[in-house]
Amino acid sequence: MAETHGLAATKRSGSGTGAARAVRREGRVPAIIYGGDGEAESIAIEARLLERELRKPSFFGTLLDMEIDGTKTRVLPRDVQQHPVTDFPLHVDFLRVTENTRINVDVAVHFINEEESPGLTKGGVLNVVRFEVEVFCRAGSIPESLIVDLTGTEVGDSIHISAVSLPDGVRPVEGDRDFTIATIAAPTIEVEPEPEDEGAEGEGEEGEGEEDGGAEE
Amino acid sequence: MLQPKRTRYRKQFKGRIHGLAKGGTTLTFGAYGLKAVSPNRISARQIEAARRTITRHMKRAGRVWIRIFPDVPISQKPAEIRMGKGKGTPEFWAARVKPGRIMFEVDGVPRDVARQALELAAAKLPIETRFVARLGDED
Repeated sequence: MAETHGLAATKRSGSGTGAARAVRREGRVPAIIYGGDGEAESIAIEARLLERELRKPSFFGTLLDMEIDGTKTRVLPRDVQQHPVTDFPLHVDFLRVTENTRINVDVAVHFINEEESPGLTKGGVLNVVRFEVEVFCRAGSIPESLIVDLTGTEVGDSIHISAVSLPDGVRPVEGDRDFTIATIAAPTIEVEPEPEDEGAEGEGEEGEGEEDGGAEE
Repeated sequence: MLQPKRTRYRKQFKGRIHGLAKGGTTLTFGAYGLKAVSPNRISARQIEAARRTITRHMKRAGRVWIRIFPDVPISQKPAEIRMGKGKGTPEFWAARVKPGRIMFEVDGVPRDVARQALELAAAKLPIETRFVARLGDED
């Protein structure tokens, strides 16, 4: 079930690129809280504290008690914008929730008993089709992860959502079909390529020679 | 080695690589990846050398994805030739890589094996790189 962590934040005034950059220069990350009954609130979080939360497993499945200037609000992280090079968080979206709010949330898939899978021990490769599965559940009962047991799986087998036992009150958003979570693929045999593809390069050179000749004339 | 099946034009302008990658900056297929931190052209030969290093270090376990494709023909003039007389011959293919681009992704191996494989592959590339993992995958 979902854990609850505390996170301190401050209200921020102003909106837009300039105000957000000013907040970032102070070592804080701009964020927003929306949804529920209240208005959208612009806040700022200490970058150090946010990064610590981001490193924890299942950030998007963890309820946070956001303390904004003394008042606590229960929120669920919905999106993180990251810098394309440094992956530093640039902005975070939080959804205001209560224990009974019903939401769609991505839950990480974990695989266990890999050593008890004959397919994997024979050299097969676990091909994860979905690292996360979107489920519909109450905010208070978000599963920490979906556990997939690989015991007895052979090469060529597929593991579907129907093979995963979901807690009560949790159902996949794509409930209308039995989608694949992972497959056990045969090991790929590496074929050493030919040392040089002389033919293609030779053709190119010939073509160029003719063109050069034409230009000189 | 990777190269386009056919192209509309044989030769392209050299160009410059400005700015940061605007797509392909997050892990999509694997659990770990190698991200470019500086811009450069990466030749098909360098991509192949890096790929081979990764698969060999992973002892052919797991899977490797290449997220860049060398679709730029690079021309060169022969040695000791006078300047002029048109553009040189296309000699090899290269991918233009901007900072932030995930170049390789791997999965199906432990974190330390993936990290070492990607670090060895990075030594084959002409750019600065960074090892990346999915959000929530602690160091």
